[in-house]
Amino acid sequence: MFRALRRAHDRRRHAGGEYGWLFRPYTGDELVAIDCETTGVDTRTAEPVSIGAVKVRGDRVLTSESLDLRLRRPATLTGDSIRVHGLRGVDLDDGIGLDEALATLLDFIGNRPLLGWRLDFDLAILNRQLRPRFGFDLPNSGIDVAQLYHRQQRRSVMEPEPRAQRFEAVAEALGVPVMGRHTALGDAVTTALMYLRLERAGMQDRREA
Amino acid sequence: MVDVDLTQPPFSFLNEEGRERVRHGIDLAYFDRDEIILETGQPGEYVFLIHKGEVAELDTTQPGARERIGHYTAGDLFGAISILNGKSRYRFRAEQECLCYLMPKALFLQLCDDYPAFAEFFRQTLAHKTRLLTEQRAEGGVTMAGFMLAKVSECMRPPLCMGAEATIAEAVARLHESHADSLLVESEQGAGMVTKTDLLEALVLQGREKQSPLRDIAHFALVTVRPDQYLFEVLVTMTRHKVERVVVLERESPVGVVELTDVLSYFSSRSYVVSLQVEQADSLDALFRASRRTPELVKALMAQGVKLRFAMGLLAALNGRIMSKAWGFLIDERYHQESCLMVMGSEGRGEQILKTDQDNGLILADGLEWPEVGEQMQRLTETLIELGYPPCPGNIMVNNPEWVGSVSQWRERIARWARRRDGDSLMKLAIMLDSHAVAGNPALLERVREALFEECSRDELLLSYFARTALRFSTPLTLFGSLKKPQHGIDIKKGGIFPIVHGVRTMALERRIKPTSTLERLEALAADGRLEERVAEDLAEALSLFTELRLKQQLERLDGDGDGKSPDRVVVQQLSSLERDLLREALHIVKDFKQSLSQRYHLEYS
Repeated sequence: MFRALRRAHDRRRHAGGEYGWLFRPYTGDELVAIDCETTGVDTRTAEPVSIGAVKVRGDRVLTSESLDLRLRRPATLTGDSIRVHGLRGVDLDDGIGLDEALATLLDFIGNRPLLGWRLDFDLAILNRQLRPRFGFDLPNSGIDVAQLYHRQQRRSVMEPEPRAQRFEAVAEALGVPVMGRHTALGDAVTTALMYLRLERAGMQDRREA
Repeated sequence: MVDVDLTQPPFSFLNEEGRERVRHGIDLAYFDRDEIILETGQPGEYVFLIHKGEVAELDTTQPGARERIGHYTAGDLFGAISILNGKSRYRFRAEQECLCYLMPKALFLQLCDDYPAFAEFFRQTLAHKTRLLTEQRAEGGVTMAGFMLAKVSECMRPPLCMGAEATIAEAVARLHESHADSLLVESEQGAGMVTKTDLLEALVLQGREKQSPLRDIAHFALVTVRPDQYLFEVLVTMTRHKVERVVVLERESPVGVVELTDVLSYFSSRSYVVSLQVEQADSLDALFRASRRTPELVKALMAQGVKLRFAMGLLAALNGRIMSKAWGFLIDERYHQESCLMVMGSEGRGEQILKTDQDNGLILADGLEWPEVGEQMQRLTETLIELGYPPCPGNIMVNNPEWVGSVSQWRERIARWARRRDGDSLMKLAIMLDSHAVAGNPALLERVREALFEECSRDELLLSYFARTALRFSTPLTLFGSLKKPQHGIDIKKGGIFPIVHGVRTMALERRIKPTSTLERLEALAADGRLEERVAEDLAEALSLFTELRLKQQLERLDGDGDGKSPDRVVVQQLSSLERDLLREALHIVKDFKQSLSQRYHLEYS
């Protein structure tokens, strides 16, 4: 509810601005899968280290149209998160600044719907950086692939409370290769593949029903 | 986010910039099981590069099981030919759920324009592809690195030393008995060198006496190296000083000599060294040591991409020498002229790369008295087992009296087998036909083989019975279709090697062709006009490929990787796409050959 209100507010304020087009309804046939590697798991403090995004059109993952942004070293970069994504401080020496990264990202995704594995987490991370700089949250509609998978599981297995599934386990269950785990772009591509796979299964279910 | 190996052909023909264009220019697509990815007649829009899954290539004009003409798995690509031809000749269907990278037509054509080698890859013929594969293997560089890092101490031989007062005659005798080309002369002014050429020139050109001392002809300005230097440095030194041998000095005193031939043969897999060891072995123990090194030699030859036929030739010669030496150590010299040890089967054809079962027999001159022959043959068999030749399961060995006999006895046996024409007799005729003398008097074997040709080559009925065996096993043309589990693989020996070897053997019998190796028989048959030149070449190429694939598995077993796997089974999924293409072509060649055999020997109705 709050989010909807905020979006309405953002839209009103930015409709005439540079990013006004982001608030228009999307009419194309593309989606964008995104993923962030961050310095932690707490959305209130964690900062992005790298951002990956790839477009999906029809039944194709357009790896030829992808974004792989490495950011300048954030202050909160610690050993724990380095162990996860493997990006050390020195690896980020030539990273780009957040302002530039966010502008590039906005240009890339435009008003396309977003795909993500536990999308809320990535949105929270991005919006926390976006709002002070641009004055709005990402207005795009979104699909959380983790939830999509759970819904499908519920339908097919009749499980009332699905267990929280791990990314790799779901990829394996769907027969999707993990394309470079814990790199932002790799996870984004895998997420996009999971989505295509689930969409196909959904189509089949609907056809059979 | 391209997760494919771009170091394999055809991408290996691109440079890093080209590979980067591939990485940035391709998309991912999902195909469901049984979904048609590319339809017959459809224009080619993409090159498909399989990331995961399996794809069948179908010729829809062919009925039933024959329609499946190709199969592609992870890492393979298809669709490129469809782009070049404008449209697809065949249908491509997902056998499993598939994940493919799609390279757009425009990018593919640009790459073809910018990288001629890349474009050429798609226009290759069978022979071309074979060569590519060989070159690629040669570039593997494992042995090359071994060579580059080898030290002088690994390659030098102990120096032959003589005093400065020793005579030319003594030096010649010493060189002769040690199979060497040079020796060191020790004198007050340090070491000097005398080569065979020096000796020859001193005697002939300078007219010196045989009794004149070495001091006068030795060179004392030596090119020297240290034992811890790299071998390639030596090669450079030799080239710079235009010499063929250098002396290895350690703390001022000579400890060895390195000859150019040694360096070069070290480079070419140390084959020379192994054969030298065999040649120089003066006891059974020394022979055991040399014999144990032959697998290492085969591996090195293969790693360097030496053509299989030359590797086989070298190994057959080496095996022959090892057996001949063993024979020499064990058998009393007075019997040498009166008997002949022959090897048969694949060893007789010289087509055995690794040592396998003994297949041997003994021919005695008519009227020879040799009471203890049984006992001595038993010892020979046991010694060969120790040398690494396991016993023959069919007991075709010299310790079995059935495979020992006088020339007349052998002739009778052959005549009996030819009359009977049952499976066992035909097999024995085939074995005899491939026999090859390794020790003793080869003329005895010649006489027996003459009799064999005389008895069989004009007997059409016998030839027909003989040829039929070549059709006994089916040749698996569809590499995947008929297999319950793909990992069962296909039997390369029954489906590929055996029909060629036996078919060619039959024709050689008919035409009385003497060489025993299949490749030589093919050449002789082509020269004889019995086979078209092109057909003979194709068969030779196909046979080499099968043998090579089989050898690869044998070597893996040697390394302990292929436990429990039959070396004759080739698991198609483990081959690279290039090898798979080759295998498919080769099996088609076998099929055509079997067809022509069945026409020539009237086997259609059998």
